[in-house]
Amino acid sequence: MVAVRELAVLVVIGLGTYAMRAAFLVTARPEPPASLARTLPYVGPAVLAAITLPALLAPRGAVTIGDTVPALLAAAVTALLWWRTRSLPLALFAGLGVSALAEIVLR
Amino acid sequence: MSPRAGGPSVRILTAPSLHRGSRDSVAVIVAYVPFGLAVGAAMAGAGVPPLVAWSSSPLLFGGAGQLLAVELLGAGASTAVVVLAALVVNARFLLYSAALAPHVADWPRRARWAGSYLLADPVYALAAARFAGPGGGGRSQDRLAYYVGVGVTLWSAWLLLTGLGMLLAGVLPAGFRIDMAAPLTFLLLLLPMLGGRAAVVAAVAGGVSAAATSGLPLGLNVLVGAAFGVAAGTLAGGRRA
Repeated sequence: MVAVRELAVLVVIGLGTYAMRAAFLVTARPEPPASLARTLPYVGPAVLAAITLPALLAPRGAVTIGDTVPALLAAAVTALLWWRTRSLPLALFAGLGVSALAEIVLR
Repeated sequence: MSPRAGGPSVRILTAPSLHRGSRDSVAVIVAYVPFGLAVGAAMAGAGVPPLVAWSSSPLLFGGAGQLLAVELLGAGASTAVVVLAALVVNARFLLYSAALAPHVADWPRRARWAGSYLLADPVYALAAARFAGPGGGGRSQDRLAYYVGVGVTLWSAWLLLTGLGMLLAGVLPAGFRIDMAAPLTFLLLLLPMLGGRAAVVAAVAGGVSAAATSGLPLGLNVLVGAAFGVAAGTLAGGRRA
């Protein structure tokens, strides 16, 4: 039994997502209005922090010592290692290791 | 400007910046391995036929939206709820599109239509870093070649990783959890963007306001955070200039 509804829903979301990605790229002008141009550099930091911080404070949907402390420790180690080494893989895997260790200790 | 008869398209495929983009993507891909596998494994366990669930990788090309859509579908949510929730989560691509637009205005129109499909979080992060850096990423075709190198490499890796995650769903260790891999991966996209005081202000305001409104439905708090963060960063940047 093919899941026609599920596939159709994903196609609709895919089309909507594509439309949002294309909205400004295909209508782009070389010189955006100055007031808009000043805001654009902050899109990346604002959006990514808005995704990251809530997920670190409540990894499983609630702020608890057992969940939040390992996540914040892992984030601190990840950030520190990235600043020191500029290596994404090293920083990520060290962070994951710390969160696993901290969870074992706090359990 | 049409890429026919071995014109611009061949020059792009042989440009050094294409290989540079591809190379820059490798470290990101290695850092995406846990997240990609975890998204695949979570989609495999959602109760949607595996091939349909995996089709979200080419259809949506973005882990957060895919995971949400597939899990809601598996939980039997109504069509309207699934579509709305996933589009709200993916609304950040509208902002990426606006932020990247000034750097792509001189690309052929066809390249901008095609490039839109590839505009995922790590593609935006790498392209924005290069285009905002010294030299602005070079000439039009160098920027396009870099974007294509990054986008196609990350796209292929993402399809592979999520597929592998689905196949390995039963075998992955229990400690292999999406709830740590996802935020640490996004943290590593964020850190290279904190190049100045105003960017840090934008990130702090965005993160804190999103955390403070995390009770909002449909993940709307990310959009609240985006609005506050961009406003705070713009204010901080304007004052200094």
